[in-house]
Amino acid sequence: METVASTASFVSSASPVAGETDESSHGFLRTAWDFSFRMVLRYIKNSYKDDPFRTFLEVCLIGFIVWYMAKPKYNIGTNKVELSEKEIDELVEEWRPEPLVPALTEFERETLDKAIMIDGPNGTKVRLASGSNNKPVLNFASYNFLGFVDSPELGKHAVESLRKYGVGTCGPPGFYGTLDVHMELEKQIAAFIGHSAAILYSQAFTTTLSVIPCFSKRSDIIVADEGVNFAVQQAIFLSRSKVYWYKHNDMADLERILKDVNKQLVGRRGKNALPRKFIVTEGLFQNTGDISPLVELVELKHRYKFRIILDESFSFGVLGKRGAGLTDHFNIDPHEIDLLIGALCFAIGASGGFCCADKDLVEHQRLSGAGYCFSASLPGILTIAAADAIHALEADPDSYLDNLRDNAVLLRTLLKRIPGLQIDGAADSPLIHIRLAPDALVRMKRSGGAWTKTDIDRVLTDVAEEAQKDGVLLTRAMYVDDHERILPNSSIRICVSSAHTRKEVEKCAHAVKSAVSRITSKKR
Amino acid sequence: MGKGQRAVHAFKSTEFIEHTRDKDGLLVGGEQYPFKQAPKNSSTLLLSEKTTSTPAVSKEVVEANLTEGVQKKEPSELEAVPTLILVTTYLSFLMLIMFAHMRDFIGKILNPEQYVQLREQSGYAPMVSDFESLWTRRLYGRIRDCFNRPITGVAGGRVNLLERVSKDFNNTFQFTGRVHNVLNLASYNYLGFAQSEGPCADKVEEAMHANGITQSSSRAEVGRSRQLAETEDMVARFVGTEAALIVSMGYATNALNIPTLVGKGCLIISDELNHSSLVSGARLSGATIRVFKHNDVRNLEKQLRFSVSQGQPRTHRPWKKILVVIEGLYSMEGQFPKLPEIIELRRKYGFYLFVDEAHSIGALGKRGRGVCDHFGVDPREVDVLMGTFTKSFGAAGGYIAGSKALIDYLRLHSHSAVYAESMSVPVLAQISSSMRMIMGEDREHALEGQQHLEQLAVNSRYMARRLAEMGFMTMGDPGSPVIPLLLFNPAKIPAFSRECLKRNIAVVVVSYPATSIITGRVRICISASHTREDLDYALEQISEIGDLLMLKFHKDKVAQEHEQSSSTTSSKKNA
Repeated sequence: METVASTASFVSSASPVAGETDESSHGFLRTAWDFSFRMVLRYIKNSYKDDPFRTFLEVCLIGFIVWYMAKPKYNIGTNKVELSEKEIDELVEEWRPEPLVPALTEFERETLDKAIMIDGPNGTKVRLASGSNNKPVLNFASYNFLGFVDSPELGKHAVESLRKYGVGTCGPPGFYGTLDVHMELEKQIAAFIGHSAAILYSQAFTTTLSVIPCFSKRSDIIVADEGVNFAVQQAIFLSRSKVYWYKHNDMADLERILKDVNKQLVGRRGKNALPRKFIVTEGLFQNTGDISPLVELVELKHRYKFRIILDESFSFGVLGKRGAGLTDHFNIDPHEIDLLIGALCFAIGASGGFCCADKDLVEHQRLSGAGYCFSASLPGILTIAAADAIHALEADPDSYLDNLRDNAVLLRTLLKRIPGLQIDGAADSPLIHIRLAPDALVRMKRSGGAWTKTDIDRVLTDVAEEAQKDGVLLTRAMYVDDHERILPNSSIRICVSSAHTRKEVEKCAHAVKSAVSRITSKKR
Repeated sequence: MGKGQRAVHAFKSTEFIEHTRDKDGLLVGGEQYPFKQAPKNSSTLLLSEKTTSTPAVSKEVVEANLTEGVQKKEPSELEAVPTLILVTTYLSFLMLIMFAHMRDFIGKILNPEQYVQLREQSGYAPMVSDFESLWTRRLYGRIRDCFNRPITGVAGGRVNLLERVSKDFNNTFQFTGRVHNVLNLASYNYLGFAQSEGPCADKVEEAMHANGITQSSSRAEVGRSRQLAETEDMVARFVGTEAALIVSMGYATNALNIPTLVGKGCLIISDELNHSSLVSGARLSGATIRVFKHNDVRNLEKQLRFSVSQGQPRTHRPWKKILVVIEGLYSMEGQFPKLPEIIELRRKYGFYLFVDEAHSIGALGKRGRGVCDHFGVDPREVDVLMGTFTKSFGAAGGYIAGSKALIDYLRLHSHSAVYAESMSVPVLAQISSSMRMIMGEDREHALEGQQHLEQLAVNSRYMARRLAEMGFMTMGDPGSPVIPLLLFNPAKIPAFSRECLKRNIAVVVVSYPATSIITGRVRICISASHTREDLDYALEQISEIGDLLMLKFHKDKVAQEHEQSSSTTSSKKNA
């Protein structure tokens, strides 16, 4: 009893120091503290009386816990060097950082100086601010597959919607940035593709960048095509998942990896939870113009229990009988694709992107999709432009898509006849990459030395410039060379549009032919 | 006075407005509040022709700011919080989480079908893990009606909210078809340029007629139009740098450009409260990332000394570059960075400075040029200035501004310029027209931009002062258009939002994970399009809600101060 009394006196003597203010809350807390302190002491005292050894054990245990908590969590070996203040000052004084950005090379400077500048609206025919004469040139460089970019009706409606929605939404979708037209467009896209739900992002690149890391986390597994576009590469990198790359469109290689992955997982299943497993590929490859073999992919998906993330940025609006993308093209139930990513800025001619998935997964993105959650929503005008374009495509798909396919096939056949060129990609893909054939390169090099990438880029730039003189606007496919995982071979990327006439397509092929023959005849 | 001259003198009219202000920046003297409505004829304000020197930065300003920064006590967020509130908040969260787990536990036994998504099924791992989604399902789900509220029309000073109800505890919502016109204290429409009518909208329409809508290509390929190039030049002029690059989305401006600036062997030192886009950008860059305590310059210096002296981990090779990333206005806290001090450090340590002006550009500084203008710092002292057009300009997208060498490099190597779609025509037109107005270059509306800036400054100071007077606990620096008001208890978070909505006010409430677990808050965004009546109405209603929810933590203190001041004045009178 003595101890209890002394603790009580200790507590009461300590209490005036603890709380000098006379707030009621403090008074209450003090009483509570007082009470619990006494309880603990009484407990210790009693237990000591009963079993002194137990108290000793408990004290040891507490000591161990304190030691355990206090020790550094995990030692990664910082390898720190102890330095005096003076030494640090000297090191600070000495340290010279590299320049923030390296200086441009001669060729890069040239590229920048000669960069195309469009004067007025973009479309199938554009005026160039840089050109000497102000004659419009035929545009085979924009991703204007369906001609929506310069469609006058869509433009008119968009102007009208300006008077209702203004321009910016001034907030992310979570904070009063969700417009009624956003919700309508989401429903419309989901219905058009035939999936359960859709979510709208305000930029196509960021859509991919948000969706993949949103579901695929550090411990998960991604098996991806080597030829995917840069946005997918970045998204995979951002997700920090374990990634395996399979050879571009090679289903046998994919199957080999899937088997491997599953074999590895068998062993560790007991210890850890099953990771999420994804196959990531692109519908219409931006870098090659190839089309993914979806039928085989879906079969493999089921056989090996993977999910599919499909980037349809370039195939949405382009492939399929209705223009609903790759699933439409192969007549496969869109629900087979677990996450379907699309873009509204290419074929649809508006801006932004979307992701189609099951309702739960879409709702999950509204809180966890970084690009959705942390950036302003798509402006109302562009939303309406996208909705109108999809309506137009839905109402009369044949008038857009038949033309597009015919033009694509025609241009591809014409281009294939040109000597010295190498044309890849699927037969009816409107994305055509033209590359210089190896034999042509050998012929062109006077000294017989090796071609550097800059040399080839320069030749292709010259080809594009020559074609521009003939009234056809072309562009070399641009990449951030040192950031691409596998840099695609340099090419000129031609995008056919349904709004091009047969004659215009022929003119394009002709311009390419004469430009190539003029440039390749020069020795370098 | 000629029109051109008028334009030139437009921003100098600050002087005219300034002499009638008290220390809070509130207008005093006149009974009539002059800027309730923007005058139709802008020249009326130019009657007094004061030609003062441009509000260029004087040394005193910098010094004053510096000393202010040092002298001002930095009350830690939690220091001033009443203990009872602290305890109840933690207890509430504990209870919420316990209940969440219990509901999950019981639910899984009684109603297993509902939890199918969370379990491994036929060899597929769940898409969203059980524990990860607990917060979303059990905590966010309960207050889901406070977020993603759909609107229609323009998010201006007032906004049209679509009424929705939920019959299944926020699982789904049904629209009733009714539309509520509510006061908008939520959108980032700081300068009030989110409009569907008026000079900016007219310019946008003109531009759409002339240039269509979009480019369907990236900037580096064929997405560069004359309009884009001209707007980029204007942005550079506005920000005060040599050149600028426009990106079609705000988040992407950070996420896709930082990887071009730094890479492996480089170091990013980032403020701990930096925006998610900066974090994504830093992660994408592959550089080493270190974090310094929010707005703690001393901690930053410590990090710098450590990093520079130790070099890269393990190899001790010197860092290639060090990039310090801060924001111009922390949107969740309403706080400014300590820019002048960080620039001092930059001179000493030679790192590169990246300032994200997403919220500050247009909203801060006498001329609206952002945080550099606010602190009187030369923008060229900052290596990379990033900002967005979503907020003050009523548009969308963002920009990177800096030296010509930097921007030229970015134009060819930035992921956003090479791969992402280029900026659309209407957005560009909105940017250029609103920016011209702010700069006073639009001859027909020469003074309106400056008025917007004035109105915003006055509104934000008024609101912050009045809220503090009522005894609310607010955060943020004086003059910030974002005023966070601390709520603490999790139950008060949805309650505040719903009460506000009942009273026709739209506000944003944020809680963990956007803030620390204890400091749940409501964020009030002030706009230049709010009139004094709007603010008074809001204050009156918020005061009522504050009484209802017991939010006036400083009520006693304010009353005491009031008493003291009145007693001193009375004693003076007696004497």
